[in-house]
Amino acid sequence: MSVALIRAEIAKMRRLRTGIIVLVMVVGVTALAVLSALSSPDFSDPGTRSWAALLAGMSLAVPLTSPLLLAVLASRQVDIEHHGNGWLLFQTSGATRGGLCRAKLAVLGAVVCAVTAAEAGLVLLAGIALAVPGPPPLALWWGYAGAVAVVNLVLLGLHILISARVENQLAGLGIGVLGTLLAVFATGLPPLLAHLTPWGYYALATAAGYRDGELVTFVPGYASIAALAVLGGVLFAVFTTRFDRREAS
Amino acid sequence: MSSYIVTTDHLTKRYGERAVVEDLNLRVPEGCVYGFLGPNGSGKSTTMKMLLSLIRPSSGQVRVLGEPMTRATRRRLLGRIGSLIESPPGYGHLTGAENIGLVRRMLDLEQRQIDLAVRTVRMQDQMDKKVREYSLGMKQRLGIAMALARQPKLLILDEPTNGLDPAGIEEIRRLLRHLADGGVTVMVSSHLLGEIDKTATTLGILAGGRLLFQGTRAELFAAATPDVLIGTADPQRAQALLSGQHDARIDEGLLRLCGLSPDATAQVVSHLVRAGLGIYEVRRQEQSLEDVFMDLTGGGGL
Repeated sequence: MSVALIRAEIAKMRRLRTGIIVLVMVVGVTALAVLSALSSPDFSDPGTRSWAALLAGMSLAVPLTSPLLLAVLASRQVDIEHHGNGWLLFQTSGATRGGLCRAKLAVLGAVVCAVTAAEAGLVLLAGIALAVPGPPPLALWWGYAGAVAVVNLVLLGLHILISARVENQLAGLGIGVLGTLLAVFATGLPPLLAHLTPWGYYALATAAGYRDGELVTFVPGYASIAALAVLGGVLFAVFTTRFDRREAS
Repeated sequence: MSSYIVTTDHLTKRYGERAVVEDLNLRVPEGCVYGFLGPNGSGKSTTMKMLLSLIRPSSGQVRVLGEPMTRATRRRLLGRIGSLIESPPGYGHLTGAENIGLVRRMLDLEQRQIDLAVRTVRMQDQMDKKVREYSLGMKQRLGIAMALARQPKLLILDEPTNGLDPAGIEEIRRLLRHLADGGVTVMVSSHLLGEIDKTATTLGILAGGRLLFQGTRAELFAAATPDVLIGTADPQRAQALLSGQHDARIDEGLLRLCGLSPDATAQVVSHLVRAGLGIYEVRRQEQSLEDVFMDLTGGGGL
């Protein structure tokens, strides 16, 4: 993947309203996470406020917001190639369709990582502003953010592939809606079942929640998330390599 | 050294059992405007995509700029080949300048090269508009500017006049002549002979995936044998006299004979005169290039 391709992808983002989608993601997750914590009975007394409530709020807000917005983000960046005959334009400049998809993942992936970090950082700042007592569990906080970033990247890659393969972008967006449902319901599923779809990994990354009526923190399933990262990376490489060999239609 | 900028040897593309292009031996001379003609579905676009290595041939070879066009050489060669295949490219949400800027970044071109290409297609006053606001003609010209920005030795244009009004078609013609005068070899396809026959110096005619003719306009006329028309006092008797020897029929009072060589024509006239028939006129039917093209392609839905 060349630097020129990455720069071209950044240039194409102009006027695509990527910034607005990113803003909706960050504000949506932060607001939902904080509101969820504030509505929790454990958070009503300032003296008993806990960081776990904010982590639990984030663990609810991320799967509720991210799948569809990731689909929108990928769809907008890929759809322009279908409409602008961009695949052929770049093929005749020596870049392959798979190369374009990899460049899109690199650029949008950086944006998504920054978004995830911003979400985690803003919720952390909200906790400080709300005077949550005690030091924040930073290792768990950023460990959770890292796990979410991995799941986001895998889903982003999946949506880039779908949008590139299926010209009608409603397909990718429909899968995004379905993914939101799967991500939300996966929090109530046994961990084994949550492993079956990439959206289920949001549930495996959960850092806090209620167990037997008690708000407790969890250790995210780092091993499962790492396995998802490897599998997602390999599959993305395989599919984009197949795109490289694909003939112009 | 070969003076051909593009050559193909037995180039074939099959999809399953169906051959889209078959046994194609193209010879595109350097510095010419090569008119690649054929009815819709005759294999022109497929051939052009194979020349650009966008499609892999089932068999046969492509040589461009003196080198075989393969996956290994493709990227380097494409830096010297401009092309416009199918609909013109252009991201609607970006301006013309931003679009051509993408090509500049990809090919590491200088702004001077971009400015020259834009001026060549006379788009310098339209570059700040978004492409979604362009007319089809402007999109075509931007597409050609993107192809020209790399200052190519070879320009491959697939039906660049599609959807253009007569003024737009004439403008593209002028542009192609201008480019050829500047030393660029232009290969341009069309399903309409009239669109490029005045521009092209060499013609290649494709039908059903096969090359029916390749050469100059004069060679095309020479290759086609027009019918012989004979004016006689008694065409019915003349037809009867020639029956069994020649394909003769009566057409608007004249005897029409197909595929007669000059010697055969002399023999027929001599035979009719010896039989006592008065001969008023003997001439070949005048043919336009369109007629020759239609004959070669069998009508081909043109």
